[in-house]
Amino acid sequence: MRHNKKHLDFELNLIPCIDLLSVCICFLLLTAVWLQVGSLNVKQAIGGQSASETEKVPQLWVTMGAAGDLILNVKQSAKIPRKLSSLSLKGVQGRSDLAELNKAVSQIKTLDPELKTVLIQPRLQSEYEEIIDLMDEFKKTGLTDLGVVPL
Amino acid sequence: MLATQSILSATALQSVIAGQSHVHPKHGARSRSVFSGELLLTALIDAFSILVIFLLMSFSSTGEILYIGKDTQLPKASLAEVLERNPVIKIENEKLFLEDKEINFSSLIPALLDLRKQFSETRPGEEYPGILTVQADRRVKYEILNQIILAASGAGFGDIRFAVIMK
Repeated sequence: MRHNKKHLDFELNLIPCIDLLSVCICFLLLTAVWLQVGSLNVKQAIGGQSASETEKVPQLWVTMGAAGDLILNVKQSAKIPRKLSSLSLKGVQGRSDLAELNKAVSQIKTLDPELKTVLIQPRLQSEYEEIIDLMDEFKKTGLTDLGVVPL
Repeated sequence: MLATQSILSATALQSVIAGQSHVHPKHGARSRSVFSGELLLTALIDAFSILVIFLLMSFSSTGEILYIGKDTQLPKASLAEVLERNPVIKIENEKLFLEDKEINFSSLIPALLDLRKQFSETRPGEEYPGILTVQADRRVKYEILNQIILAASGAGFGDIRFAVIMK
């Protein structure tokens, strides 16, 4: 019998694969976004409603002082004792002490879990980064409704 | 002799796919000269594949929404939300830009009101979302931001989004 023996070895043509991968790499490198930009959302009052009509929710007012000092005032909350409703935090090396702030706000939040609104009142000389740091810290403690007081 | 004794040819002979990943410039043994180099492509394809996978994983379908100048350093935040396409107010080198067009602080409210007007003309019956993205350097003073916040409130933009770099 005569066997029709086919040659089983074959050669993979890798050139098109390299072409395809090169094009993919070029496209992805050109369209790559190296910085992940996000946003911190702030809800501002735009008027139109009188103060008496506005729903009374617990609020935390934060006044930014010089050298990173912070004054915290809890308003419209009956659950917070007077001792905690007004706090003063000293700054560290000209910046706000975020660790102390986190501790204080967590304590307030455990007493009144309904507290979600924070209104930050910066100084005219406050840096944008300081305000963002405060907002980020408040978000970490579960205070999600942030606002900035216009001066 | 040079080709057969090289390290490349030795590894190729030991590999699973043997000589199938070679580029043969003139195809076949009959035309192979003594000095013809054999290129091992498997390692190259491996490296390319890893690169493609890495780039695909870091690929962002939303693309770049903000164009950040070289002098601008955005502040960093860990609990930031995904940035969406909204009108952008940019402060760069103490200049104010609305959608990449330089404007004065005094003309900010009319410019924002124009945006609202354009929206209502192009999409009648739809409520204007009133969202504004603020892009500023981390060292900018609140003195400047305050004017933007006041103007935004005055023009009915109640939702301000501060652009940050995610930590």
